[in-house]
Amino acid sequence: MKKLVQALAAVLIVSFALLYIVSGLNSSQGYTSGNTLTIFNWGDYIDADLVEKFEQETGIKVIYETFDSNEAMMTKIEQGGTAYDIAVPSEYAIEKMKEEDLLLPVDHSKIPNLKYIDQRFMDLPFDPGNEYSIPYFWGTVGILYNTDILGDKKITSWNDLWDPELKNQILLIDGAREVMGMGLNSLHYSLNDKNRDHLIEAKEKLDSLTPNIKAIVGDEIRMLMENDEAGIGVVWSGTAQELMWEKDNLEYVLPEEGSNLWFDNMVIPKTAKNPEAAHQFMNFILDPENAAQNTEYVGYSTPNKEALKYMDEETISDERFYPDEEMTARLEVYENLGKRMLAYYNELFLEFKMHKK
Amino acid sequence: MKKNRKWPAFYLALIFIILYAPIFYLIFYSFNSGGTMYQFEGFTLDWYRELFADTRLLIIVLNTVIIALLSAAISTIIGVAGALAISYARKRRVKNTLLSLNNVLIVSPDVIIGASFLILFTMIGLKLGFVSVLLAHIAFSVPIVVLMVLPKIEEMSTSMIYAAMDLGASRFDVLTKVILPYITPGIFAGFFMALTYSLDDFAVTFFVTGNGFTTLSVEIYSLARRGVSLNINALSALLFLFTIILVIGYYFITKRNEKPNGMGVRQ
Repeated sequence: MKKLVQALAAVLIVSFALLYIVSGLNSSQGYTSGNTLTIFNWGDYIDADLVEKFEQETGIKVIYETFDSNEAMMTKIEQGGTAYDIAVPSEYAIEKMKEEDLLLPVDHSKIPNLKYIDQRFMDLPFDPGNEYSIPYFWGTVGILYNTDILGDKKITSWNDLWDPELKNQILLIDGAREVMGMGLNSLHYSLNDKNRDHLIEAKEKLDSLTPNIKAIVGDEIRMLMENDEAGIGVVWSGTAQELMWEKDNLEYVLPEEGSNLWFDNMVIPKTAKNPEAAHQFMNFILDPENAAQNTEYVGYSTPNKEALKYMDEETISDERFYPDEEMTARLEVYENLGKRMLAYYNELFLEFKMHKK
Repeated sequence: MKKNRKWPAFYLALIFIILYAPIFYLIFYSFNSGGTMYQFEGFTLDWYRELFADTRLLIIVLNTVIIALLSAAISTIIGVAGALAISYARKRRVKNTLLSLNNVLIVSPDVIIGASFLILFTMIGLKLGFVSVLLAHIAFSVPIVVLMVLPKIEEMSTSMIYAAMDLGASRFDVLTKVILPYITPGIFAGFFMALTYSLDDFAVTFFVTGNGFTTLSVEIYSLARRGVSLNINALSALLFLFTIILVIGYYFITKRNEKPNGMGVRQ
């Protein structure tokens, strides 16, 4: 009995000592003051120095939390419990959140720096007039290939993937829109095509790709490409950029036929407690110098036109990550297909996944 | 028979290698001066330095440890009481029902438990954060403690209790001087089980964190999209070391106390 009591006392003493240390650390970081801004973002998706700079400039304390998927983020916002002032969902999630009435409209007059955003990235189908969202980062879906494995073979289009020499070399992202979009694009149809005949045609074309497919995977595609496990991966540009920084034998191309353009935008959830600070923060991030700093840290493409001036010439002239007007014209943003059509996409994708080699 | 003796040892060694290889692989790369896990470029302690410079991450680690210790301690107390109640339930039907209910909690998926807690907490208006995480962790640890303690109670001979009562012990004396000392190993096992469950739980924790309070598992999972940096390797190495030290400490404590071995009546 004595031993148990001792052990319990020891545990309690240790935990309260730790609690004391944490509260000390917290107050040294100023997390306890009244005027706070709670941000909900992807892991490691902002330069921490910028958060500090914002705190110093405005006196607002930032509470920073992270999530790992749009779906998880939406669940938490929907349920409440924490009043997030800013969240950073991807475009399809913004559309859903709008439908479910989870967002507050953004007051453009409080974000003068909005003028620096490239007009190409404003007023897109998922949020007409940018009523609810402000661009944060953007990117594309493209083909990442390993020059060690493929040798001199050049990849420039989706249709190159159907080359019989690429047997068992391709990794695909496990996403219905991404993969079906690739099938549609390879036939020169739109990513958002709602014509059932076209969709079936695309699915059949994808079926004929199966001998070349090594696996259909999720986030682990990064590891597999990093370890030279496959010659080709169909990935998001953000993933590609990071891998290419680390490895010289990887190349990224935007397919000629066109591809998907994705966005992560800042929004203000309806439960926000401090929308004023949220606007301030959005304006702060859109400041060209800050945007440039953030972009250099994160490595995704910035929608901020003015920020490009502060960035490395080599980075911004890289057409794979900052495609010119002609290429962007061929890129498409996912439109909301509606429940029925989306279900049909998913169904075809599932059928494709079950297709035998 | 002699020939056979080698195989079990070999088999065991193989199992241990498989179990520990990923951990050592991870720790090995925490000393890599190149920024990635696929090529070892040279020895460096930079990642450890970076780790200790990152106050946010340190707060998260400490939070994780506090939650683990507190939730394990509280759930051990509740769990022991629960195990005693189950084992001394008079009717067999009641006992079996209670035990099954306990088991249902263990096998039900974490995501379901997490989502239910989120809905419950927001419904009763509890602010997400330290308290909600603590409560959730206590909740999923209690059934484990019960399962760890119960066999010890069942194993104890009832004649010991009758003997104590014959000698004039009150109910309280029986509990504190006979039963609890006897089941102490079970209690410690339950405590450590609860501790590890709490340390590594992601699914439940994700739903109930909020207002700036997070734990390590949630933070690391959120890095999935951008790739995990090597200072997380450094952190894992330290945590691994820390738990190893805990286990060794526990081993020596139990070793020392084993001497009076036997009747279970100890001070």
